[in-house]
Amino acid sequence: MDSDLAKNLRSVTISPLEDEEEEEEELHIEEAEEDEEEDEEDSVQLGFVEKPKNPRLLLSHLFPSKAGGLPAWLDPVNLPPDNSRLCGFCGDPLQFLLQIYASIDGKESTFHRTLYVFMCPSMACLLRDQHEQWRHKEGSPSRSVKVFRCQLARSNPYYSSEPPKLDGTDRPLCTGVPLCCWCGTWKGGKLCGSCKKTRYCSEKHQAMHWKSGHKSECHKLIASDSPIVNNGNGVQDLTVFKNGLNNATWPEYEIVIEEESGFEWEKSEGNSSSTGTSAIVTKYNKTDEALQSVMDQFEADADKKSWASFEERISRAPEQVLRYCRDATAKPLWPLCSGRPSKTEIPPCRYCKGPLCYEFQIMPQLLYYFGVKNDSNSLDWGTIAVFTCLASCESSISYKEEFAWVQIYPATSIRPGRLTM
Amino acid sequence: MAERGGFGRGFGGRGDGEGGRGGRGRGGGRGDRRGGRRGNKSEEEKWVPVTKLGRLVKSGNITSLEQIYLHSLPVKEHQIVDALTKDLKDEVMKITPVQKQTRAGQRTRFKAFVVVGDGNGHVGLGVKCAKEVATAIRGAIILAKLSVIPVRRGYWGNKIGLPHTVPCKVTGKCGSVTVRMVPAPRGAGIVAARVPKKVLQFAGIEDVFTSSRGSTKTLGNFVKATFDCLMKTYGFLTPDFWMETRFSNSPYQQYTDLLSKQATKAILPPTEEIPPVEV
Repeated sequence: MDSDLAKNLRSVTISPLEDEEEEEEELHIEEAEEDEEEDEEDSVQLGFVEKPKNPRLLLSHLFPSKAGGLPAWLDPVNLPPDNSRLCGFCGDPLQFLLQIYASIDGKESTFHRTLYVFMCPSMACLLRDQHEQWRHKEGSPSRSVKVFRCQLARSNPYYSSEPPKLDGTDRPLCTGVPLCCWCGTWKGGKLCGSCKKTRYCSEKHQAMHWKSGHKSECHKLIASDSPIVNNGNGVQDLTVFKNGLNNATWPEYEIVIEEESGFEWEKSEGNSSSTGTSAIVTKYNKTDEALQSVMDQFEADADKKSWASFEERISRAPEQVLRYCRDATAKPLWPLCSGRPSKTEIPPCRYCKGPLCYEFQIMPQLLYYFGVKNDSNSLDWGTIAVFTCLASCESSISYKEEFAWVQIYPATSIRPGRLTM
Repeated sequence: MAERGGFGRGFGGRGDGEGGRGGRGRGGGRGDRRGGRRGNKSEEEKWVPVTKLGRLVKSGNITSLEQIYLHSLPVKEHQIVDALTKDLKDEVMKITPVQKQTRAGQRTRFKAFVVVGDGNGHVGLGVKCAKEVATAIRGAIILAKLSVIPVRRGYWGNKIGLPHTVPCKVTGKCGSVTVRMVPAPRGAGIVAARVPKKVLQFAGIEDVFTSSRGSTKTLGNFVKATFDCLMKTYGFLTPDFWMETRFSNSPYQQYTDLLSKQATKAILPPTEEIPPVEV
């Protein structure tokens, strides 16, 4: 019934003023409202998650974009240092969320460029992180969401200068540093004190591995000769991570890129039968002021409006998990009105002191794909917008930290003067 | 080649032409995303929830709207309401064109006013303004679904059959308008003005007497007062509510307790651990 009505009303037009016999009567002139539909649409690229056909295709020498699982480090040797890999509040090592391969044309040093996003899986830390992201000016605040950027020139000591052939014969040029045995994410700088073979990135992971099986295997490993190989480039024995993968990482997906403009807006297509039923549409010159007041009562407030336009935009492709648009004028698609950063709240790049620009944002559909539980301490966000250095600066640090802004849904919905359920 | 950055498919300007097509070679499944969406899958299957409540509904942990009402959880996705109610009908009550004066003439938009309901105790009201009529209607339907409230019905006299009228005399007020709803015997029908009558029909009330006071010409206040009245039907304490309420956990809490209970059993006594050695 709805679609018929929509089809019928599609062709409704307003008769021009000249046709009116009487002179123009008073029309309801609206106050100037913000017209959200006037924004031009940037060319946004969307990311979708898919199960990888072959996990080997997500290794770092094939420059993947992926979510969950283990990170494919671009620079396999100089991994992020100790203090930046921990959550600023609970001290646990951060968990890998996603990485995208986003090189920038024109500059040699950014031929290969990957952005990594890490997050603490605890909601309590994310709530405290909200306070931190608002006050950025005091040095480098402790966050629970961290973004790293790594870039390499075309000729570099780790990968060949030719594009990968994707036929199974590609190999990285060097092996990376060994990684932690439990999470497989961070550098395994510490050895187990007894067997001296298993590597960990932190004491917490050692404790967890000890409890879930290493205790019995430790003495066996002391006797055996072979070292456990788990290096940064992926030539690793994935079975080693069976324990860790269940607890310390999210399920692995590949991120597939599509243009947003490729998605036709489903509702706007279709035939338009031209029987205009204008019975419902009132006459142009006489407005029902009484009904106007109804509409004013029930129309949404600012938060609801931005939520409505957010929903409308993602309804073209409801499975999207990432929106990428590295344009100078691009703005992220915010679900809520409150909690948006202004220009002053975005800090300058901490390495070159230049301005940051918005690059991409992560959508909450990713939580659904990760199968995150829905209890009170499980993660839930509205969107995570990542701002990166506009100049994509070079520095001696291999993994440079960028700025992430998390917008979460408010815990209670305060709707003054509205009907509450 | 130095101008183009990166190998393979990546995000960024140059990825659009080749990235999409090149990716298609790996798996034809992605093509379906663009082409085969028209009507092949139902709306609900395509829905990927964005909020925590949405995820709970999609996974089937929440089975009725009443659970959401019980804990006053805000509903942000209209697909939640779709998934939890059957036969939600909608009707467009009015579409008015509104205009804004600009230097280049007038800019006309359409405001659509939609009421939804399943005729069985749930109603919602939505208003949306947009440049095209169809867009406004669609947006208004979504907003209406988000504002669905439960309505309690009762009997006038003998408790035979299903409830058909309001359970007691209730009154709602908004602005200067007060609307009083009085239980009516079967067959009386809805005795009310045009617009509230529609709302009451969608709510599933079959018979009711109404009485209003104040400036009912302001339809906004009038309709809001009837809405307020309908909300109060569940707020009125009748003798069947005299029993002690047993509080239940909100859907967000339900699963936490279960998990924490299991955890307490499984924690092993702490053993001495061998400290790690720096490399």
